[in-house]
Amino acid sequence: MELPEVRDEISYQRVVMNSGSTWDYFPGHFDPAYAENQGHPTIFVNTMHLAGFADRVATDWAGPQSRVVRRKMRLAGSIYAGDTMVSRGRIVAKPAPGLLDLQIDITNQRGELCCPVELTLQLP
Amino acid sequence: MTDAVSKPISYRLAFGTYEEALQMVGVATEPRIAGTVVSAARIQMFAATVRDANPSYWDADFATQHWGGLVAPPALLMGWLTPLPWQPGGQPPAAAIAIRVPLPGTTFINAANEAEFPLPIIEGDRLSVVEEVVSVSPEKQTKLGVGHFVETMDTFSRQDGSVVATNRNTLFRFTPVGSS
Repeated sequence: MELPEVRDEISYQRVVMNSGSTWDYFPGHFDPAYAENQGHPTIFVNTMHLAGFADRVATDWAGPQSRVVRRKMRLAGSIYAGDTMVSRGRIVAKPAPGLLDLQIDITNQRGELCCPVELTLQLP
Repeated sequence: MTDAVSKPISYRLAFGTYEEALQMVGVATEPRIAGTVVSAARIQMFAATVRDANPSYWDADFATQHWGGLVAPPALLMGWLTPLPWQPGGQPPAAAIAIRVPLPGTTFINAANEAEFPLPIIEGDRLSVVEEVVSVSPEKQTKLGVGHFVETMDTFSRQDGSVVATNRNTLFRFTPVGSS
């Protein structure tokens, strides 16, 4: 079974909100000149933002009484300011009563896989 | 590049050799306690960042009934123990152990993360973390540059001593292609 696709356009403001909300002031998340100097086109979202997007996709679908109990993610590519995050999710397994394993792949608007996520939900 | 461009890292990035880095493998830190408790303001600032309308983060009545209080978004876990970039007294804030591993790389990027959440984290909880360096890889060449993968394991506890989360993280500490 597949989860509905979720798309989220990431503006400069959204990337800068990473530093404000997570206190992660690595300059690649707020300083375009620094990011370019490191070989990136511009600033990019942090790990917590990618994780938060995956969690949102999972719990929006399963309901607010569900809870993320495990999340494994690989940072394969970055989501930059101006990109759109796209999630494609599916149920992978029911490892135990009340638990559900999901696979949520986060790509950019060009379909490039940026962050594959394995996530386990505890259901009410 | 102008003077306004950020210096490489605002926190202390330790420099050294791979051999020095290996000496930190297996070392666990003393518990580091969050400067502030889990707060509704930070919960909702993060939920707004990722545009998550989950009432567990926004609706105190719903959240109290189901969880005992507003819930900390699991994805914000590392943020509770991330120090602010400035503190009174002028001493640099203590950084995560992963970037205190002495290595040659001038910058870093996250490569992988695996977190588990045995218990929900609730508004008012004061978290502490014990960090451990699990491994440091030999030198690797990637499309970003040459560097080392640093794997760490964080264990987060709340004020009553219960473990609320574990966080296994792999960071790539490297020198970018084309920089000297």
